[in-house]
Amino acid sequence: MDCLRRSWLLAALGGPLDYHCRDRARLTDALALGDQQLMRALAGRRRSQLQAQYAAFAAADLLPGDGRVEDICHHDDRFPRRLRFPSAPRALYVATSARRLHELARGPVVAIAGSVRASDYGMETARSLARGLAAADVTVACGLEDGIAVAALAGALEADGAVVCAMPGGVDVIAPARRRSLYQRLTRRGCAAAELPCGTPARRWGQAASQRAIVGLAQLTVLVEAQDNPRELAPARLASTLGRAVAAVPGRVTSPLSAGTNALLAQGAHLLRGPADALELLPAGGPYGSSRAGRPAARRLEPRLQRILDRVRAGADSPDRLRHEAGDVGELLCALTELELMGLLARGDGGRYVPLDPQPVARRASPP
Amino acid sequence: MLARTHTFTTETLQAHRVTVEVDIRPGLPAFVIVGLADAAVREARERVRAAIRNCGFEFPSRRITANLAPADVPKVGPGLDLALACAILAASGQVPGKRLSTHALFGELALDGEVKASRGTLAVAQATHDAGLQALVLASSDAHQARLVEEIEVAAVETLKSAVRVLRGGRGDRPARTPDATASRGPAPGSAAATAGGDLCEVRGQQHAVEALVIAAAGGHNLLLSGAPGTGKTMLAQRMPSILPPLSRREALEVARIHGLAGTHNGGLASARPFRAPHHSITTAGLIGGARRGWVGEVVLAHRGVLFLDELSEFARPALEALRQPVEEGRLAIVRARRSEVYPARFMLLAATNPCPCGYAGEADRCRCSESELTRHRRRLSGPLLDRIDLLVQLRRDGTRELTAAPLTSSAEARARVLLARRRQAARLSGEGLTVNADMDAPLLRRHVALDERGEDMLRGACARGLLSARGQHRVLRVARTIADLNASERVRTRDVGAALALRPEVGVQGGRPG
Repeated sequence: MDCLRRSWLLAALGGPLDYHCRDRARLTDALALGDQQLMRALAGRRRSQLQAQYAAFAAADLLPGDGRVEDICHHDDRFPRRLRFPSAPRALYVATSARRLHELARGPVVAIAGSVRASDYGMETARSLARGLAAADVTVACGLEDGIAVAALAGALEADGAVVCAMPGGVDVIAPARRRSLYQRLTRRGCAAAELPCGTPARRWGQAASQRAIVGLAQLTVLVEAQDNPRELAPARLASTLGRAVAAVPGRVTSPLSAGTNALLAQGAHLLRGPADALELLPAGGPYGSSRAGRPAARRLEPRLQRILDRVRAGADSPDRLRHEAGDVGELLCALTELELMGLLARGDGGRYVPLDPQPVARRASPP
Repeated sequence: MLARTHTFTTETLQAHRVTVEVDIRPGLPAFVIVGLADAAVREARERVRAAIRNCGFEFPSRRITANLAPADVPKVGPGLDLALACAILAASGQVPGKRLSTHALFGELALDGEVKASRGTLAVAQATHDAGLQALVLASSDAHQARLVEEIEVAAVETLKSAVRVLRGGRGDRPARTPDATASRGPAPGSAAATAGGDLCEVRGQQHAVEALVIAAAGGHNLLLSGAPGTGKTMLAQRMPSILPPLSRREALEVARIHGLAGTHNGGLASARPFRAPHHSITTAGLIGGARRGWVGEVVLAHRGVLFLDELSEFARPALEALRQPVEEGRLAIVRARRSEVYPARFMLLAATNPCPCGYAGEADRCRCSESELTRHRRRLSGPLLDRIDLLVQLRRDGTRELTAAPLTSSAEARARVLLARRRQAARLSGEGLTVNADMDAPLLRRHVALDERGEDMLRGACARGLLSARGQHRVLRVARTIADLNASERVRTRDVGAALALRPEVGVQGGRPG
């Protein structure tokens, strides 16, 4: 009851929280405050009115979810144990079941985070990383926002894996709305969780606050691509405050999009080259460990295709840069198409070819 | 006394015969014109009066009634002046009426009696022949155009006096100069004339784009160029006319007729194809015409040539929607309040666009577009117009790094390949009444495009991977057929299919960006 009341209070204070807490550190501090302190600090002129409403609060005041949403507070045994730290959410609204969240949170969880505006390299890395982890029965935790998060989400779903997705508003508020189909797919095997009551619109602070749930649930936080600014590096900082492992994917030293992740590596974060590295960082003894499960053996390619694929992987990613690799233009275009049809390349934006990780051919059988 | 002369008025792309009847009888001096004349024709009274006097003839100061028959066809433009003046002179007995029944008269008069050129000379000359008249008297500056119609006699005149001399049985004036039959009088407004379009050998790098240009020219395929600013989209597009086959005589006549009526081209036969590049602020009426009677749009002016739409995504949606009929049917039917007109509009559509609103998609550290902006941009592009585009070329900026590289091909070489490929297509498709692969529909594709087993596999694989729609398959087959034609192969080989697939115009279904 008290915990639900707190979630109601946070939703009511959404505006002031957005206004006061541009700074991550202040937001974390504010979220660690007690209810009365929070009202005193943020409610301003509305304080007495809000206090009256607070006193008269009844759980029935909250908008009911559509029946598929369960609420669970930190007094409950099923509340994820890793989420019991001071600034953590006190209660979670879960779609579709709290039991599923409990199951997933007991197992291995890896958070994948990164820039909203990522390069093709970052997107593809996040995707294949999530795919590999999901294939090894590791739960992927991420958000629903653009960039790395949604790439990871899509990758995990490709391998039919379980995903825990933290929502910035109410758990039934899908923002951005175009992710509706992804949302529905993820709630089939995984779950979505939010700390604000159903129907609360997504706000900026909610986006930042949802990272507490993502990072908190995970044993390992991976930054795939992040610029060197506090906003994009926030998940790494949060994870190290909580004493969880942080890993980063290296990028080109010249790319500003990878400056943050490279800086993390310089500061001693674990270097991640693929799902296998992530699995090694997880505490041993889980049901995982076979990172190669479900991945096809490297296919033997014709030499002409292999040569072109190697060149694309080395960065010569447009037909123009590859024109010395084949006899004539027609042959080159044909070879690129063949590689595309094998799932080794994709035609990206702006006339680039993006190397892909080969997708698992035989999908993993569904777990019990 | 009564006199009749023959002249023409233009409507849509046709010239209609008009008989000018003038009746002069005693009464208070007056000059009345009846018969659906527009403002320019009614103003002819003043021009005709002054011209007759200034040429030393007498303007009868009696009651003059001029009737323009047939009375239900609206008469437009100043081209009726000459016929009106001659009819008055004949009715007042100053010119013998003998030749008036065999000679058509067409031209505008200046106050001093000079005969000036008027729009639509070629159409008028053809109509003169169709109407069974023997000769056409018209301004000497336009005579070379009228002489393209070889069946009629053309009398070029400088002034009203010379016109009278012709009607009395004399000869016309010698043209002051003999214009080169192939030269136009400078580029038409709004079009970069083909001569100024440049040569393919000026293009450096972008090898696959050049190849796609050749494929598009060979098969008559519509082509979309996508790339960041400065990658040479416009440069490539401007070179398209230089590799297209030259106009045949029949096509050249059509083109000259259209441009003569629109007033955008006043020379003789052009061998280069029209290249129209309207700015993206163009309105629907500007693009397809129909704003007022006889006004033709860019689509019609691009007939037998190239319509180049730069910054495709910036064009107004209604304007692009209006392009569907001409792109699909090669003609344009305009229905307005009191008229319906059908224009020929068979052109190649060439479009260029940025890959995203800021133009730098794919270069993650430069592109400043959000996911939703990208989605919106793609949705704008993937309208019904994109269904008719067979080829997509994506240009990358670093392709232009090789500014010092040797040129890949010249326009002359490319055109020779295009001509060969066109000949192969024409031989294959002559029985079907088509000339280019782009016009093949599904049954024809089945008949003329036989794939080998690997090619079939490839196509099936592309569909299975969601890279290709059913309609997309047909496009790939058409393009593959053209590539095979360019390689002088009767069979469509696997590599042709592969290359066609690499140039498929499906946007927004590729990997890289999920969600």
